[in-house]
Amino acid sequence: MLSHERICDRIFRLAGRRRTEVIVTSTCSALTRFADNVISQNVADTATEISVRVLDNGRVAKFSLNQPSEASLRTAFSGADLILKTQKKDPRLLPLPRPAGLKENRSVFFPGTADLTPSDRAARAVSFAGKCRRAGAVGFGTFENGTRMVTVANSLGLRAFHRETYAAYSVTARHGDGFGWAQDYSCDSGRLDFERVDRAALDKALRSAGPRAVPPGRYTVILEPSAVANLLLFLGIYGFGARFYQEGQSFVSGRLGKKVLNDKLTITDDAAEGPSAGMPFDYEGVPKRRLVLVDKGVARDLAHDRQTAREAGVRTTGHALPMPNTYGPLPSNLVMAAGDRSLKEMIRSTKKGILVTSFHYCNPLKPITLEMTGMTRNGTFMIENGRISYPVKNLRFTESVADAFNRVEAVGDRLESFLLWGTVSAPALKIKDFNFSSATMF
Amino acid sequence: MFPFAGKAVEIADRSGADFADIRVVETRRQTLSVRNGEIGAINDSVTLGFGVRVLYKGAWGFASSDVMTAGEVARVSRLAISIAKASASLKGRPVRLAAEPAYRDFWQTPFIKDPFSVPVEKKLTLLFAIDRVLRKDRRIRSAVSGMNFIREHQWHMTTEGSEIEQVLLSSGAGFEANAIDKGEAQSRSYPSPHGGQILSMGYELIESLDLAGNAERVREEALALLTAPRCPEGKKDLIIYGNQLALQIHESVGHASELDRVLGYEESFAGSSFATIEKLGKFRYGSPIVNLVADATLPGGLATAGYDDDAVKAQRWHIVKDGILSGYMTNREFAGRIGRDRSWGSCRADGYANIPITRICNLSLMPGDVPEDALISDTKDGVIMENNKSWSIDQKRLNFQFGCEIGWLIKNGKKGAMIKNPTYQGITPAFWNSCDAIADENSWSLWGVANCGKGEPPQTAMMCHGGSPARFRKTRIGVGA
Repeated sequence: MLSHERICDRIFRLAGRRRTEVIVTSTCSALTRFADNVISQNVADTATEISVRVLDNGRVAKFSLNQPSEASLRTAFSGADLILKTQKKDPRLLPLPRPAGLKENRSVFFPGTADLTPSDRAARAVSFAGKCRRAGAVGFGTFENGTRMVTVANSLGLRAFHRETYAAYSVTARHGDGFGWAQDYSCDSGRLDFERVDRAALDKALRSAGPRAVPPGRYTVILEPSAVANLLLFLGIYGFGARFYQEGQSFVSGRLGKKVLNDKLTITDDAAEGPSAGMPFDYEGVPKRRLVLVDKGVARDLAHDRQTAREAGVRTTGHALPMPNTYGPLPSNLVMAAGDRSLKEMIRSTKKGILVTSFHYCNPLKPITLEMTGMTRNGTFMIENGRISYPVKNLRFTESVADAFNRVEAVGDRLESFLLWGTVSAPALKIKDFNFSSATMF
Repeated sequence: MFPFAGKAVEIADRSGADFADIRVVETRRQTLSVRNGEIGAINDSVTLGFGVRVLYKGAWGFASSDVMTAGEVARVSRLAISIAKASASLKGRPVRLAAEPAYRDFWQTPFIKDPFSVPVEKKLTLLFAIDRVLRKDRRIRSAVSGMNFIREHQWHMTTEGSEIEQVLLSSGAGFEANAIDKGEAQSRSYPSPHGGQILSMGYELIESLDLAGNAERVREEALALLTAPRCPEGKKDLIIYGNQLALQIHESVGHASELDRVLGYEESFAGSSFATIEKLGKFRYGSPIVNLVADATLPGGLATAGYDDDAVKAQRWHIVKDGILSGYMTNREFAGRIGRDRSWGSCRADGYANIPITRICNLSLMPGDVPEDALISDTKDGVIMENNKSWSIDQKRLNFQFGCEIGWLIKNGKKGAMIKNPTYQGITPAFWNSCDAIADENSWSLWGVANCGKGEPPQTAMMCHGGSPARFRKTRIGVGA
């Protein structure tokens, strides 16, 4: 495959005088998956996707391809011209952005992470499966690594390039009817703490065997970071994207500057640095600004692209998705600030409550109030008198995340990062009166 | 393309692989949408690449690339072999594939009108017309209408001698209106939510949907929902309509019957299944009127093809017969675990860059013998729910909860007031066993699911679910925060 620079040069040469934007994304990824103590899938992929947006005085066309030969590009431009010619003019369509000062984010690329081999990944699977076997458990999991490169360029001279590596190690242990899970994610595979992850998953599986049924109802809960990250993701998407806000579809709509969550909570979106750092510009090549979405419970910022910013009369924050799109801008480097309580302290301070390792299959029922449902998974425990007393069968929650995040009693002192839709980093939370609406059979 | 693909087969054969195949896939997609009077998507995309799968001494390796040169095929084939060797370091019983004859064949989706030959201008004109009707009331704060078309051209070659060329075509369209007023938000879609109806057909599907003719009704129903009473809490007889029945089938039977999931191979991601293999042929999944049939030959089905990605010829089989668990979605690797010497053929990959995995085939609830009207007139205290809005199910496919766009109460056999935010919750076998009536074939329709996610790395697959409205006695409804 050609370099991103040569791909862009070729496209701009063939584009001639057309106003053109090019997004090139290349990925090189590999994943080893194991189940039942056996490697079940082991894959590697190399791919480049090129998307070209052509603007012509209030008209737009777009094409994508992965074989950028001169002939295929000429054909694609001809097709775009035809679409432009027959399209009605939209006076609201923004022209391409001009180049802005961009800083490369060098903190997220680690050559060693890109170079991990199938044998390196298999060795971790072998190690965890061995630990599981010795404990009478069964191991499942994945070890994934890869590189991603993105170039955004346009015919006004804008050039933005980003590259990052990633490594994610996630394991599940099953011991009879007990389950445990843990993961670690980093741009640098050297920072993955395999031993901690293996130990945590296996320990949870051993401790969660023989779960007892408890009645659904409202309980104090201690949500571990994975469970919080899952809720935070939806809060970011439906709460702080400017388009949802402007259309009155967000629980924050009309409440900027007001208290919307518990004052123990501060939520930022930061692509430049910190645990959720990533691509420092958006899909129009505009630098991403650090956002303080919630400052001690008060809604402060929204994620904007140029279009929503124009409607609001503010500057873009650099959160555009590839244009055109129907979602509007979204935050994708979310961080909930750590607090001052360890998980042990949270448990110790709880007279009666439920400890949740993670949530499964969460979905919004009413996005405007962030009412959601989902299941507990991978280790759910009853807490009584400051101690974990016994494992419980999984429960379904039906709860407004906005309401629940107003009932926070303590915030954990350690962040964990997860590769979800973008990177989400979150601490544990203790929340009172969390609504479990039904129970399942295991 | 087969001479290009032959290099991979040759290298795998020379290396002593037990089995290998290469899939070369060219995919063309056209996506168009209009949102609030502006173009929301206008993309024409073409991708081409290949994936090589190697079974070496009983262990799998897979690698893919989009660089279409002979040298790259050789590199990727050798990489797949080396990955298979790494897989052998943690191996259980060696993988043995169920037997299947070798095929040399061409198959394509039947269609009347090639959607890619219909001008974009014509498609956008229709979408803008729908958009104008939907936004005639200021309380419709967002309206999205869209179309999408996919043509996947596959060349599949195996070391067993199969050379299968297939051209799969699908077309889809739909729209959604979101009404917001006084802190309340409600949405209504046509023909179905989550992108609309999609089937393996040409542009004739779009022309048959009467999209423009339904826009006004959808707008008015979205507005009416703003002030409709809430779904009551409690237990009522539930009649499921439209694409919600498709989602119910998909989540509580489709995924639950994927044999790789049943055997634990999805445990690390979306979980396993309660429908374990010792239950096959014995377990009462539903009431005796419940018959659920998987069918890769179903006209219009999104999982319909001549062959699956294991090079197995398309088949039709029962998953649930007369209420009893009777089959699974299988691939060639796992079919032997349930004593079968042949796979039912439900193994598919997302594009060229992914390894084929067991997927849900087209899976439909067979029609009953009750006219649709009688289903309602025979219900004393019930509720109708239509079109999915939210879905969630536990990791063994037991406890589910769905939210729908719209509902109507039934009192003493009469369809009554519209209700908003209808939800219901249940446990899979108890729920299907409470099914006491299914409308007849006159009400049967097929619904496309275009976004079924599974696997690590994640793959998307498409399939269809058919059904007539069905009634489930004493279902828990109105679950809220």
